[in-house]
Amino acid sequence: MADENGNDHDPTPLRRPGEGVPPKPEGEKPSIAGDVAALAGGLKTTLSEFFKPVVTTMYPEEKTPRSERYRGRHYLRRYDNGLERCIGCELCAAACPVGCILVIAAENTDEKRVSPGERYAKTYEINMLRCIFCGYCEEACPVQAIVLGPEYELSDTSREKFIYTKEKLLEPLPPDVEARLNAKGTAVPTPAPLPNPPPQGGRETTP
Amino acid sequence: MPDVKMVNVTIDGHVVTVPDGTLVVEAAKLVGIEIPVFCYHHKLDPVGACRMCLVEISPGPPVAQAGCIRPVADGMVVKTQSAMAVQARADILEFELVNHPLDCPVCDKGGECPLQDFTFRHGYPTSRIDGPRLHFQKPIPLSPNIALDRERCVLCYRCTRYYDEVAWEQELTVAERGVHSVIASQFDQPLTSNFSGNIIDLCPVGALTSRLWRFESRPWDLHHTPSVCSKCAVGCNVTLWQRRGQLVRVTSRENDDIDEGWICDRGRFDYTDVNDPARLRVPAVHGSKTTWAVALNTVADGIKGKGSKLGISLPQDLTNEEAFLFRRLLDGPLRGAKVKMHGRTALPAPSGEQLMIKDIDDARVIIIVASDTENDVPIVNLRVKKAVSKRGAKLIVIHPDAVDLDRHRETVHIRNQPGEAAAEVRKLADHELLHEPGGPVAILYGDGRGSEDAAGLVAACTELAAKVGAKLMPLYRGTNERGSLELGVAGWDSLDGVEALLSWGPPPTAGVPASVKFHAVWDHLPRPEHQNASVVLPATSFAERQGSYTNLEGRVQFLRPAVDAEAPLKESWDVLCELAAALGLPLDYVGIFPIQREAAKAFPALAALAQPPSPEPEPVPVLMGPARP
Repeated sequence: MADENGNDHDPTPLRRPGEGVPPKPEGEKPSIAGDVAALAGGLKTTLSEFFKPVVTTMYPEEKTPRSERYRGRHYLRRYDNGLERCIGCELCAAACPVGCILVIAAENTDEKRVSPGERYAKTYEINMLRCIFCGYCEEACPVQAIVLGPEYELSDTSREKFIYTKEKLLEPLPPDVEARLNAKGTAVPTPAPLPNPPPQGGRETTP
Repeated sequence: MPDVKMVNVTIDGHVVTVPDGTLVVEAAKLVGIEIPVFCYHHKLDPVGACRMCLVEISPGPPVAQAGCIRPVADGMVVKTQSAMAVQARADILEFELVNHPLDCPVCDKGGECPLQDFTFRHGYPTSRIDGPRLHFQKPIPLSPNIALDRERCVLCYRCTRYYDEVAWEQELTVAERGVHSVIASQFDQPLTSNFSGNIIDLCPVGALTSRLWRFESRPWDLHHTPSVCSKCAVGCNVTLWQRRGQLVRVTSRENDDIDEGWICDRGRFDYTDVNDPARLRVPAVHGSKTTWAVALNTVADGIKGKGSKLGISLPQDLTNEEAFLFRRLLDGPLRGAKVKMHGRTALPAPSGEQLMIKDIDDARVIIIVASDTENDVPIVNLRVKKAVSKRGAKLIVIHPDAVDLDRHRETVHIRNQPGEAAAEVRKLADHELLHEPGGPVAILYGDGRGSEDAAGLVAACTELAAKVGAKLMPLYRGTNERGSLELGVAGWDSLDGVEALLSWGPPPTAGVPASVKFHAVWDHLPRPEHQNASVVLPATSFAERQGSYTNLEGRVQFLRPAVDAEAPLKESWDVLCELAAALGLPLDYVGIFPIQREAAKAFPALAALAQPPSPEPEPVPVLMGPARP
């Protein structure tokens, strides 16, 4: 039976559970030969799979390739001169739809310089149990400090260990990912830290 | 009040009727149309410096005109959304951003910045500027509390105009001229004014920021609570900002009846004790930590039945509810105890009709007797300055020393010998200024910080007020001095010779008397005076306390907790109720509201306590576009 669009529909109404199996159509008689033929047909399908290429990946010994844009665990990046990129602006935390990022900022001093500029993140924590790996933090970051790396095997043995602290997040990215990020031209060049002493209230312009 | 002519103006198709002389930006606010402004501020005189408010006005020349300096006229038609006006504002914003560092991610103003908002709403979506930008040292410390970032400054002059017009200070100025102009403190000296913090609120960009709040949080992290300042008797309205259980910022909350949006630096910056890691949190008896029940029973045993051998030292910021409970205790188990309230004046409770703070605006002559208003009642001092410089009031000051109000050239300063202010007040009855017609006279009197005979001074002021038809305002110093006076607990007794002492708040300023054998303290910070205390109870700070204050004009205002008083901290009323129970006076209040209702019933001056607090005014909706046809 075809409708006006030419699609076939099974006229049999859908059954809800418990409505019972409909009776067999009349006129069909049980036959042993028919049953054996059906069994053989099924076995043929099974046996033919032996000779097809194997698609199973032997995880965890073997791993499927990840997309370049795969969003796994987070990393905080550093500039080439070792200063942290993160400026503690909290835009990642503001963009985060689940509120799993905590940033507490502090001011750089000449004695203790953590990042270029005035501000750095004193505390940076991500609750990985809450994170949904949407990547909005990466998109919001004005200095490309936070990126989502390729690792996805994040299971651990206690809830506390899922609060990733700054030390953990500052671990170096896998070299291929870092190279790719730099090659894409998305990385801002390493800025000079504030001159020491800073210019004294005069008119100075950038070169 | 003379009749003001009303005029009809059409703004983007909305017809609005406003008094003649209203500025176009103010008229537009009434119909909810936003005209962006940087230099214009409704409490400052308009200057038209930034040109952000350009609109098309007809009849008039076919150019965009500044709406902040243009008063309305009958039949005026204002278009804020005409192509010319829209482009003119976008062009001005492009100019503002030529040298702006665009460091919004690290700027403390980011998130509550008019420059950011206006750029989104009125500016071009992209920038054409790729050249070099101006660079300055950043930040420049203007004072221990304020940082200046000249790169972000848009030169609206709000800060310098505020200093000049409102605070009558000369510390902040514009250095250099023309394109070289920068905001600078006078001779690069740190700002010392008690009113400097207001420039942080005034600054429409991130050029002036608080150094105490610097990088503490972004504005959207914060929870804010409308509350009342607890530092002096004026009762300025403030907003307390909390993040992660820490009080991180205090800003003004405009109440035209009291503060007009200004607060002093004490109210704005004196809050770090709330977050002190050394805060007392657990009761201690003889230095060892214990439970509330044990500690309060020890206190009760130590002070019970001492009669006049018991001294009670009260802080100036005692809430009305605490005062009411002390009243019940003093009428009951602690009858006869000596009570001393610290930081208060010697002035008695007021009688008769009093001057309200907002009435100072309309005064023709203002007489200030024996009070250093700048430090004792700072925001009343600003109200006096406004009346003098903007409303043309005449000012007579009776004070032995130079005061900041002398900076006005027409101030009449009568320097009395300390203790003889009353005599000078009596002489004033024949003063020529008081016999000119036009407007009421306001008499504000203090107690000269104890140098004057308060009773004699009040009598002299009352006499003068009756002669010249003036209204009186007592300038109390203690935050809730007036409320405590009305409840009868603002004692002035000497604590010498007492055997037991209950210090509610910091210990007596004069030191604990040597005769004290049992000393119980309720305080929020550890202090050296607590070394020999028998019992130390942890107290809530002003940011955790619930209650109310009566300000110096008799207005009851509510203190709301911005930070949770987490156990084992207890609310002050709870501590007092349990102490009363331990003393044998069962006060089974289940919360602060029954206390407020009962206090309102017992004391007419506190009737406002039984009223639910007035709801916050609804924000005016911002209509952005022109009216629909």
